[in-house]
Amino acid sequence: MPDNKSLTTPKSTSLPAVNKWVLEQINSQITNQLNSGVLVLDTDFNIVLWNRFLQVHTDKVSDNIIGQSIFTAFPELPQRWLSRKLSSVLELNTPSFCSWQQRHHLFELPHTRPITTDSEFMAQNCTFLPIETDTGNRHICILIEDVTDACHYQMQLQKTLAEIAQISRIDGLTQIYNRKHWQDTLEQEYAKARRHDKKLSLIMLDLDHFKLLNDNYGHQGGDKVLIEVSALISALLRVEDTFGRYGGEEFAIILPETDSAGAIELAHRICRIIATTPLIYNDQGINVTVSLGVAQLSREESNYEALITRADSALYEAKLKGRNQVCSAPEVVF
Amino acid sequence: MNEFHLTEDQQDCLQELINIAMGQASDQLARYLDTFVYLKVPSIESVEAKELMITLSQQKNTLAVVSQGFFGYEGIRGESLLLYQEEDSGRIADLLGYEPDELSQDEQLIDISSILTTTFLNVFAQQIDNQLSYNAPKLLPNVQEILSEHLQQMPFTWNLALKVNINYQVTDYSFNCNMILLIPETAITNIKYVLDRVLEEF
Repeated sequence: MPDNKSLTTPKSTSLPAVNKWVLEQINSQITNQLNSGVLVLDTDFNIVLWNRFLQVHTDKVSDNIIGQSIFTAFPELPQRWLSRKLSSVLELNTPSFCSWQQRHHLFELPHTRPITTDSEFMAQNCTFLPIETDTGNRHICILIEDVTDACHYQMQLQKTLAEIAQISRIDGLTQIYNRKHWQDTLEQEYAKARRHDKKLSLIMLDLDHFKLLNDNYGHQGGDKVLIEVSALISALLRVEDTFGRYGGEEFAIILPETDSAGAIELAHRICRIIATTPLIYNDQGINVTVSLGVAQLSREESNYEALITRADSALYEAKLKGRNQVCSAPEVVF
Repeated sequence: MNEFHLTEDQQDCLQELINIAMGQASDQLARYLDTFVYLKVPSIESVEAKELMITLSQQKNTLAVVSQGFFGYEGIRGESLLLYQEEDSGRIADLLGYEPDELSQDEQLIDISSILTTTFLNVFAQQIDNQLSYNAPKLLPNVQEILSEHLQQMPFTWNLALKVNINYQVTDYSFNCNMILLIPETAITNIKYVLDRVLEEF
């Protein structure tokens, strides 16, 4: 049997053994200086001991607390669940744990960084330990660790990661989806439509005479037009549609579960609204028109790129026919 | 055969210790869960690190892995992994005696894992006159991609793992999971030393 006590009692015989009472004082002072809560319960879950950390954080009077049931002293505790957990510690003689990641806190304790965190209460990691003493009495020690900092930084990290993920999908100028995310989405929607035999349509659109517009109003004028047109179109779409900036002045819309009739109708509406809404730049009205090409997924395409090609050809046709209009890819007869 | 391999005697001895520990642990569990627990003889394999990586990465529909570190005297330490398949986790809350809406599925898995690991290892430690402490159990997120990454990022290098297949059959609930004990090289040497001592005492 290894000497399990070597850490608490000096082995060497040349030193006088430290007085038992001195040891007790050391232990009790350490317990009270700890930056964690220590709470000891008897087998009926009545409080036997608590340390200074808990006293100052709960603002409760020690005389009233000792001997009280933990559920009376801390009415915020989930009684059924915690009783079961405490029983497991006693019955199985094993430690039990509760992490802030599953339960933000058990005890409603204030924390020391109230301004920068979003929770009113201290985030906690709790450990429940079985304690056996000489007289055969059994107790449970609850250690309450303040992990508000760790919790706060973890939350910030997650928020930042979500923001970065969002930024990586967005076109900086127009605030709609960028080419990469739009294409990834199309790849997924294509696979989904194929697997479930669902409809899928695509609209590709291009601003008419955008070069001329840039020449007349400068690049800032051109940018303004791109932003305004994106906003106008966004307002016409359903949540499930994916609108992205495909290239310089070319845009594309993925329309899940939509046939060509629905897509053509939407394309006409976009065409009309852009043409009839004057955009104001430097107190001047700019008239903008768009050309649109529509294609519906058919048996013909063997990949999503082929669908883009068909919508693009339709867009080219709309340009050839004089712009400010909608053309659709020829229907494939099944 | 290298210095970290167990001899046949050591292997037998370990199997016996684990059988006893499992038996006692399931007895305690049955009383705690207030139901009959039937336990099949656990199968024990020692697995090479490389082999385990391959097995684990091939394992389909692993729902969750809960990891919990343990450490004791005489340099006995390691990490226990509890692996759950999707179909294993349906009624853990019932089994533990919780109301289903009292706690999330994550918490149910963590709770049952902690109970299984600590009950089993506590009894095992008693057999070899040891005493173990435990880290808080952690649920590894996004198991499929993370598991092999987790194994590579362990704070210690290990080349032997003890794979203990636990199969608990509870009268009213069927419940299954795999427990894998990962033991670092240095701790294996210590375990071999302890096993030899146990063998001598017989």
